[in-house]
Amino acid sequence: MADTNNDFKKKVRNFTFKALKATVKGILVYGIYFVLWMFLAPVSEMVPGFQQMVETFVMVYIALMIVGELTSGTIFQYFFSVAKALFVIGYLIFSLNGGILGLTFQNVSLMVDLRLFLAIAMLLSLLGLAKSVLQAINYMSEKAEYPPI
Amino acid sequence: MIGIATTFFWIFLIAFFVSAVYSVKDLHFDFGEPQMSLTADNEMVFSLPVSITNKGFYNIGSFNISTEILDKEGFTILRGSTFIPVINKNDVATITHNMTIDVNDLLQQDKNYLFNDTELKIYEAVSMRIADVIPVQASTNLSMPWGAPLYNFSLGEPAYAPYNFTHFRVTVPISFENHAFFDLVGDMRIRMYNSTGARVGRGRTSLEAYANSPYNGFIEFYVSMTGTTPTGRFEVFFSTSTFDYGPLVIPYG
Repeated sequence: MADTNNDFKKKVRNFTFKALKATVKGILVYGIYFVLWMFLAPVSEMVPGFQQMVETFVMVYIALMIVGELTSGTIFQYFFSVAKALFVIGYLIFSLNGGILGLTFQNVSLMVDLRLFLAIAMLLSLLGLAKSVLQAINYMSEKAEYPPI
Repeated sequence: MIGIATTFFWIFLIAFFVSAVYSVKDLHFDFGEPQMSLTADNEMVFSLPVSITNKGFYNIGSFNISTEILDKEGFTILRGSTFIPVINKNDVATITHNMTIDVNDLLQQDKNYLFNDTELKIYEAVSMRIADVIPVQASTNLSMPWGAPLYNFSLGEPAYAPYNFTHFRVTVPISFENHAFFDLVGDMRIRMYNSTGARVGRGRTSLEAYANSPYNGFIEFYVSMTGTTPTGRFEVFFSTSTFDYGPLVIPYG
């Protein structure tokens, strides 16, 4: 009875710690976004939908990060980590239109070539993806090596 | 370890991107009024003064202005570009984007530029590399009026007055409007042919028509009484400081 009670307390303590860690991480990322947005704000006046695009990205990224943090210690942590990396890749390709951004205001057409930036971001995301997959494999291997008695 | 390295690179990439985008805010372009002028070699020069103030965090690389002038049908008359390899941060670059048009070449393409006002299309493109790595291009289409130097050129009906027993003195009124931005100074030669195609007389007069002003004058020459017919044609040749053109065939009678 006492063991079950201790187990429950331990689980609650673990979950509280994870929730706290996730909250801190979420606030930290949002804080970084908030600071960076002050620099990007002038661009949002020129590019319609830019703020919405960045906000959606940050929201989904923070949500995946929090869920990943809450599920840490389980295999789902790596699933969400992979999902986060895939989301970053997909969203960057989609929102940056393959790296070539075209805008038209009044009679002026503006073309920004972000392919280099996109390529580096893709590489970093793929690195994160590979890391998550390897960590998931490692996690499963460790589980297989030490089966619970 | 990979995680730390990846995070470091992400921070570096985002910080670089954000600061590069933020730098654009401190990049100012000042395009002056486009001007057309005439050189001593009688070539037309299209000039666009541009001032670039880079107060951003990074240098601007491969700054290029290119201009393409096209006629109404979209055929390229002139293409030119001005290139600045680097505009350093906290620096001001002032350039004049010049392009030279040979008026004779232009008139060889289409004589309508002499006699009819038209609109020239201008395709203007500015490209650069922000922080030397992010290529950006802005382009626009403009139009520029072309004023014909011999707009509405016409010769009036020839007036014949007896000069001696064998010749008439012919007076032919000349009128046109110089809509061009340059003064028209030169000579006009005329040849008169009768209805059988035989040349009956010729004359020369000087032209001096200021920019954006009408010109009314006349040319006098002598023709043989025997060859003169009520109908025929004039052949007009222009030889000015800006261009040479002829013959322009105008029937009379």
